Amino acid sequence: MRNDDDGMMKEIARQLRAPLSPPVSGSFDARVMSEVRRMPRHSRFRLWSRLTTPRTVTVIPLSWGLVAASIALFAVIGAIRAFDDIQVATKPMVTALFPSTSAPKPPQRVQFVLVAPDAKKVSVVGDFNGWDVDHAGYQAQHRGGGVWSVTAPVPVGHHRYSFVVDDSVWVADPTAPRVVDNDYGVTNSAIVVQEQK
Amino acid sequence: MEGSSDGVIVARVLRGDVEVFRVLVNRYRDRYARYAFHMLGNREDAEEALQDAFTRAYRSLARCEDPERFGAWLFRILVNRCRTLGARRGRRARTFVVDEVAMLEAAEDHPAERNAWREEIDRGLQKLRADQREAFLLKYVEDLGYDEMSQLTGVGVSALKMRVMRACDRLRELLSEVHSA
Repeated sequence: MRNDDDGMMKEIARQLRAPLSPPVSGSFDARVMSEVRRMPRHSRFRLWSRLTTPRTVTVIPLSWGLVAASIALFAVIGAIRAFDDIQVATKPMVTALFPSTSAPKPPQRVQFVLVAPDAKKVSVVGDFNGWDVDHAGYQAQHRGGGVWSVTAPVPVGHHRYSFVVDDSVWVADPTAPRVVDNDYGVTNSAIVVQEQK
Repeated sequence: MEGSSDGVIVARVLRGDVEVFRVLVNRYRDRYARYAFHMLGNREDAEEALQDAFTRAYRSLARCEDPERFGAWLFRILVNRCRTLGARRGRRARTFVVDEVAMLEAAEDHPAERNAWREEIDRGLQKLRADQREAFLLKYVEDLGYDEMSQLTGVGVSALKMRVMRACDRLRELLSEVHSA
């Protein structure tokens, strides 16, 4: 008999649903928290909090030497940057006089199309626009019949992207190969953009 | 903080309050430890997968799209960690460790029979292919619908139904004798 919901399966499930005793070893929480504390602290609003929280500052004489050394280091870095800026400023002239054979490849226009009859908004997000759902150049327009599309610039190379419907639902492109981010279970689409000959 | 929603706690952690993350660890630890144990077959690997899932979740907390559903997001990370660890373990010599403490505590009227039955279930579960074991646990033990399972695993609904059916057939084959005894 092939019936998945038979009594035997229910009995097996009942046994397996029983909590483990103990669920984890006693030091589990401490181990997780110790590892978490070693990681960089999340920092939303941290700068504001540091600026507005009173703190006691101790000045050690030796630290003035370090401060002086730091200022000297910044001065050297500043001089190097200024030299770089001069080079950058003269580069267009050099490029015009001596055109390079390996000029940077211009982004290509790529059309993204999604059929989403119930959507009120469709955006394209990807590594080429910082996964920004509000990026102005990547907002699809409704073309009628539930078809949304946008033609947007994408740099030459391999990219991952996804559609976002109504700012909340991520939808992989049904016409493109999919790539699963194994750590977070998110399925994105893959695209290879080549330079037009 | 204990009674706060996941979204409130996640927001606190993202503002730099690391210690509040412990509330989330407490909230999801026990249930998810059970899944990892059944999936991997021993406590050591299960704790490693679970600890890894919590620390990865912390590191990427800003990427959690819906903080109110932190638990579901964490579970997705755990399912993937179990797959990775299970594959790595598959390359090592296979070992089977019986959860002796749980077996003793589960004993009520007829300890010998109950322990034997539970032991056979654990043993049978570990004899399933990993993808079938995963589908069976998500369906029958975690009580997820096929659509949720599909979202979680990235596998199509029909393939999941096939895996669950094959898992049930295999378990029935392995356990019928003990069950009817």
